[in-house]
Amino acid sequence: MRYIGDIMPYLIVHEDKCVGCHTCEMVCSLSHEGVINLNLSRIHVVGYKGEKFPIMCLQCEDAPCELVCPMEAIYKEGDIRYVDGEKCIRCKMCSLVCPIGGVIYDAINHKMLRCDLCGGDPQCAKYCPMEAIEVVEEVPERRKKGVRVLYGEED
Amino acid sequence: MSGYTGKILFVDLTQEKIVERDTVKYMEFLGGRGIATKIIYEFGSDTLVFMTGPLTGFISSGSRMDVVSFRNMLVGSNVGGEFPTFLKFAGYDGIVLIGRSEKPAILQIDDDGVSLESVEDLWGKDAFETIDLLTHGQRDIKVAAIGRGGEKGIKTAGIMFSHRNLASRGGLGAIMGSKNLKAIVVHTTNGLEPYNPPELMKVITDIQRSITKSGEFMRFKDWHVNFVPTILKLKMPYFGDYERTWEEAEEAAMNAKEFFEKHTSKRASCFSCPLRCWAIVNYEGEYPINLCQGTFPAITFTLKVKDPELAWKIYLKMQKEGLDIMSTVAVIAYASHLGKVKLGSEEILDFIDKIVNRVGEGDIFAEGIKKAEEHFGVPAVYVKGGMESWSSDIRPFVGSALISTVADSEGVNRALYGFPEFYYYIKKEQAEKMARMFVGEKNAAYPWDYSDAKVKFAVMWENMHIIADSLGVCVIALLTTPLELWCRAYYAITGNRITPSDLIHYAEKIRTLERVVNIEYGGVKDEISPRLFKGEVGLDREKLERMKKKYYELRGWNENGIPMSETLERYDLR
Repeated sequence: MRYIGDIMPYLIVHEDKCVGCHTCEMVCSLSHEGVINLNLSRIHVVGYKGEKFPIMCLQCEDAPCELVCPMEAIYKEGDIRYVDGEKCIRCKMCSLVCPIGGVIYDAINHKMLRCDLCGGDPQCAKYCPMEAIEVVEEVPERRKKGVRVLYGEED
Repeated sequence: MSGYTGKILFVDLTQEKIVERDTVKYMEFLGGRGIATKIIYEFGSDTLVFMTGPLTGFISSGSRMDVVSFRNMLVGSNVGGEFPTFLKFAGYDGIVLIGRSEKPAILQIDDDGVSLESVEDLWGKDAFETIDLLTHGQRDIKVAAIGRGGEKGIKTAGIMFSHRNLASRGGLGAIMGSKNLKAIVVHTTNGLEPYNPPELMKVITDIQRSITKSGEFMRFKDWHVNFVPTILKLKMPYFGDYERTWEEAEEAAMNAKEFFEKHTSKRASCFSCPLRCWAIVNYEGEYPINLCQGTFPAITFTLKVKDPELAWKIYLKMQKEGLDIMSTVAVIAYASHLGKVKLGSEEILDFIDKIVNRVGEGDIFAEGIKKAEEHFGVPAVYVKGGMESWSSDIRPFVGSALISTVADSEGVNRALYGFPEFYYYIKKEQAEKMARMFVGEKNAAYPWDYSDAKVKFAVMWENMHIIADSLGVCVIALLTTPLELWCRAYYAITGNRITPSDLIHYAEKIRTLERVVNIEYGGVKDEISPRLFKGEVGLDREKLERMKKKYYELRGWNENGIPMSETLERYDLR
């Protein structure tokens, strides 16, 4: 696992810079699964026509996916959450509770997919031609509470 | 073999029969433009072909597809966006449409299969409405549709791809309309598997670096606000044939610049492309619309629209009706020359309605500029096959005039994008450097140069376009990056080795095949409208004829432009 110094990187999206080229999705599925398939990408470019930007797992504190999992299959290694494929029963509750669609179900290989920050070297950030995805060492306070902010529990 | 999905969808609309054929059989024509031309040769002129290339969907700037058909000669357009990639995700290298559906129909391609559905309620809707109704706002449904222009067989109509890209030139929309096909819908959850994923990641890194270091990438950075004034400086023939200058051009350009500074909300790219050559414009409650920076200036300058808000309305109108802006603008400019419409005014919007609905004389203009000329008897400017000239005129650019005379599948857009003579007046040194690099003669960059070097330069540039259109890569990107890198991409994707000289061999072969198809089915002469040789800015007919002969020689054709038997043998086209 490659860290920047001793700190695990986080991803920040600058949505104003995104040009909607889907390169992040392309390299995400390519590097993880060896194929180009937007449905197997852990990062997703959202937006229908016009303006687009990517979203991915925010690695929240008090992550609802982890809390809701009946099998306790979601575990942390360093600062990254993974899904234990042995324990996971594919109930997709994690996918359901995540307000930003950070966990998706891979219907081809029958497993849950989520951003693993490429073990510390996020390919989406590396390949984004617009530098719309940034790797940062310091996690912004609001970001830590990501899900709570989205649920309106915190401002 | 990876890269190709291996299947081409053949749809006989008359008999409602859908079959899959192997791509393998056509692989000796590389892909895209090459395979499409071969299919038309094989299946006859009543064919509309959508064909991706082996690199489509895999590589940076590789989201292109060629759309080719036949009118009185081959017509074709290269289109990007997301549809081509998704078509390959769905498992098809291309779609071939033959015959005519009895009732208005759509072709539905999804993971469960392919079907033709009757959709009479969609007939009569504009291109944007159609796409909205067919996608229901879902990001993974891609649509190619015609607007009312295509339905009514307007000869300047194109095919609209998901709110943005238009396969515009040559009246492809009218051809799709004549087949009674309103749209093609692709919905898939599948993807693509390259031959060597880690190697492909490396190639993507290198190609991205090459593109983002290029002048094109730098230029597109603020192109969305600067393009109109810049195009003015290029001295392109945007004012059209009838009045060669326009005093208010500068002011109009600055107005447009201000308009886009204010209303551009973001930049946008086609699938996998770093170039972001599109701008998203939010104006007056209309949902965001992608601005094409090549065609908008034609509305501003050729139609002499000083008010950018009106120009924008005209732009939107043409997009919604699914019309090719370059050709439609040329038709409107000609109509104004005849006193049928006042340039720079709201009348233009009504006039477009007249054309699209074929009301009164609109019916004549709907048939294109050549037919209108025959009817009214006033000379017009057009290029080979009677097609409206790109940016209304070609005169100050001799290379462009040559290619517009000899091209077998549309001239400038399919052969000379970014040809150095176009930017000679603003970047002389750069243009000359390119000419020296390609043909060892800096004068070949000079717009009025009639030399053999210019011919050679144009041939090479045309080859680059054919390579891009056949590989499935955007030509703007292809030209920024050495062919060696695209060959590496081809290897990582398909597992087959290819060299730059192989690519050039393919290009020459495909170009000769285009000529063979036109001789076989069309016989349209290598001529442009006589008007282009008249007046103080007229082209020199003799010199252009000499260039034509040189062009034939370089292509291995005889002095009448017919491929010689040894050429056909060399390319295995016998």
